[in-house]
Amino acid sequence: MKLGKTKTIDAYIPTASMADIAFLLIVFFMITTVFQVDKTVLTLPQSQVRSEVVKGSAFIVVTEGGFIKVSDGKEDTHPIDQSDILSFAVDLMSKNAEQPIVLKVDKNVKWHVVDQILDQLEQAHAKNLQFLTDMKVKQEKFE
Amino acid sequence: MKLEKKKQNPEIPTASMADIAFLLIVFFMLTTVISATKGIEHQLPQQDKKTTENIEKEDSVYIKVNADNTFTVDKEAPASIDAVGMLHDYLYPKLSNNWKKPIIIYVNPEAKYESMIAVLDVVKQLEKQLQKEKNIPNLTITIPTQAEAETWGYQ
Repeated sequence: MKLGKTKTIDAYIPTASMADIAFLLIVFFMITTVFQVDKTVLTLPQSQVRSEVVKGSAFIVVTEGGFIKVSDGKEDTHPIDQSDILSFAVDLMSKNAEQPIVLKVDKNVKWHVVDQILDQLEQAHAKNLQFLTDMKVKQEKFE
Repeated sequence: MKLEKKKQNPEIPTASMADIAFLLIVFFMLTTVISATKGIEHQLPQQDKKTTENIEKEDSVYIKVNADNTFTVDKEAPASIDAVGMLHDYLYPKLSNNWKKPIIIYVNPEAKYESMIAVLDVVKQLEKQLQKEKNIPNLTITIPTQAEAETWGYQ
């Protein structure tokens, strides 16, 4: 008996779900994307105790050369004179008395630079401060 | 003569959908910044004269961060910042007995910011430990500014 002709099936790669996968990835990146107000690259000091920075925190950035930049948490950081930090902080506190302020300072900066900033922040009645740090990895001794 | 009309099925072209989606993915992948947005929290003192009390050095734990990469605590001999871990052993018995004891961290103006963070980190670690063990609120940590230190005679 003769068997019927075998059916030929066209080979193809199913791409119907490609868009679904792509959109899933888009949603993931949209959720995880954070548009930072400051992108200054500097060497932060390290610490073991660290807590998450509150979203919308104001930023005060001090580079190794003592160059200061600030941001109110909404706009990108812009350069500012050291003596103008008080007026910047007063303006921030008038809008929100509980406004958290993040200090992003290079680890090699001398304390007197930070001290003058802290002095002005205290005068502006700032309360919540956060010193930005990198994670400190515990060094294990190999003997 | 009758013309034959070709029947065309209506369809939405979706062939380029994946291309658009991948373009968006590339955009988000490039703009995503996984950054170190964590740090040590610190409460600044409030300049309310009614509640501010003068604290004597003797009633507190006085840590001094020196300009030469060393630190001293109370009347102990100076130690290198690299050995800041020993500060924990010194503070633990004192603060576990009396967690209300104020901790004053005076930083020399010429000291590195990194040194102050190293000391503050140890104190904060101890605070966490005591909170776990004894369920206490936050420790009283003060970092006086130069002007305050001069006023209070903390140098």
